[in-house]
Amino acid sequence: MAPLRCLYQLQVLPASFRRPASMRSRSRLTAVHTLSSHMLQGCRLADRFSVLLSKSPATGGRTTGNRGPCSFHPELRKWRPREFCTRAGSPRQVKDDTAVASSPSSPPCLSVSIHCCKRESDALSEALLCFGASSASIDEPSDLEEDEEICITSIFTIDQDVSTCISFAAKSIGLRKTPNFEVTVSEDFDWIANVKETFQPIQVTDGLWVVPEWSTPPDVHARNIFLNPGMAFGTGEHPTTRLCLILLNGLIKGGEAVLDYGTGSGILGIAAVKMGAAFSVGVDIEPQALSSARQNIALNAIEPGRMPLYLAPVKDQTRSDGLKTRIESFDVIIANILLNPLTELAEELVSYGKPGAVVGLSGILHDQVPQVEEKYSKYLESISVSEMNGWACLAGTKR
Amino acid sequence: MATLKEILTRRPVAATIRLTVPAGGARPAPPVGPALGQYRLNLMAFCKDFNARTQKYKPDTPMAVTITAFKDSTFEFTVRSPSVTWYLKKAAGIESGSSRPGHVVASTVTLRHIYEIAKVKQADPYCQYMSLESICKSIIGTANTMGIQVVRDL
Repeated sequence: MAPLRCLYQLQVLPASFRRPASMRSRSRLTAVHTLSSHMLQGCRLADRFSVLLSKSPATGGRTTGNRGPCSFHPELRKWRPREFCTRAGSPRQVKDDTAVASSPSSPPCLSVSIHCCKRESDALSEALLCFGASSASIDEPSDLEEDEEICITSIFTIDQDVSTCISFAAKSIGLRKTPNFEVTVSEDFDWIANVKETFQPIQVTDGLWVVPEWSTPPDVHARNIFLNPGMAFGTGEHPTTRLCLILLNGLIKGGEAVLDYGTGSGILGIAAVKMGAAFSVGVDIEPQALSSARQNIALNAIEPGRMPLYLAPVKDQTRSDGLKTRIESFDVIIANILLNPLTELAEELVSYGKPGAVVGLSGILHDQVPQVEEKYSKYLESISVSEMNGWACLAGTKR
Repeated sequence: MATLKEILTRRPVAATIRLTVPAGGARPAPPVGPALGQYRLNLMAFCKDFNARTQKYKPDTPMAVTITAFKDSTFEFTVRSPSVTWYLKKAAGIESGSSRPGHVVASTVTLRHIYEIAKVKQADPYCQYMSLESICKSIIGTANTMGIQVVRDL
């Protein structure tokens, strides 16, 4: 028998119950680990499988060592999919900051393909969400009739009982029998790689480009900011980032101290330094964002001392000492976050600036502007608003 | 509905994705990541947009969002209020519905709760044409299937 790199793909119709021998003959090794949970439910194949699978620990394909159905206890008689899945996927804890772009710290998830009629697909996907699915997607080929079968791809977390959820969902919309489905444990970096492919160099304004790490800048003489965003926000495409960059472009004359609150990938702080600021400080609430920013700082050949990064305190915690010493020391404060954090942090944000410092706020929609303006009007004067595509950026000077 | 179809056929639709995301908590991690990344949509743009639009809701309320992905990797999405079952569970103070609806009563809610839920639901794009009374009736029906009894005092 082929050495177990552990990956079998089995497709069994729920109604019939195959004997192990025939099932084995239908299985084939693929790089994807798939199993049908109907087959597994309460079946006596458990012992057969345990024999098959206990040969060697799972090292196969792209899975990591701890994803091991092969480390499956041979004594287990009743093999329910939920137990299988929890054994199979303990979340990978990635503590290594520098590897944020390539190995995400999110646990693997189950991707289930469910077959059903086109006319029931809408109702079924709604029902799936109600009963615990994380998401349900339907591909939309336009040339299908109402009665034809289409496939709903649904994602569940690794410890959910997929078959119970699907049968409840089917019953709640009145289907007579539970639809056929297949379960796959899906890899995380598939979708991350997909998303990365979509980044292109962007021209924010005249002479300012944001270029992904892996492409060459279209204009070598312009000011180019190189980025590898990873899981953090700030690629330069979003209207709010562009509004902030344009604001900075107009403000920075040389030698300013800049505070980038909610730095994400670090794009605004890095841009400020490249435009001539003396130094900038980046703060974010997510450690992953900080490691992404650290990478980008290095990518743009900026010394770490010129852009220190701090982790923002979560509610009720005190600020870090590094931040405490910097109160009233910044010429420009820029914060591209969201409405709620902006209103909560108003006093704190403004306290970091010297009198006469310029404060720029973004991440707000056009209809959220009055709220922000009201909250900040007691700290800032001469407030101006610039807008792009329904997003707004507020700028004012500290009193 | 005819005009809606016209609008939809202008750009070829690649897929319809339904998700449940906590309000203000969209991140590129699962569930959003795999579901949208599959169709090469701009995750960050969606997260930022979704978070900005759900700022007015209580943080971490699970919002139902339907995303229409077009073949050119652009997308549009609509956010709806949380499902009726979620509201009922919160109002009744229970974690999950009864295991034997119709026989075992999990908890109770008053008519006032139903009325409040119906008012929130009426703001949904789907229910705007329905009268408050009919929305209430459908909520009571859902409560019955979950094993939650409706008490008739206010």
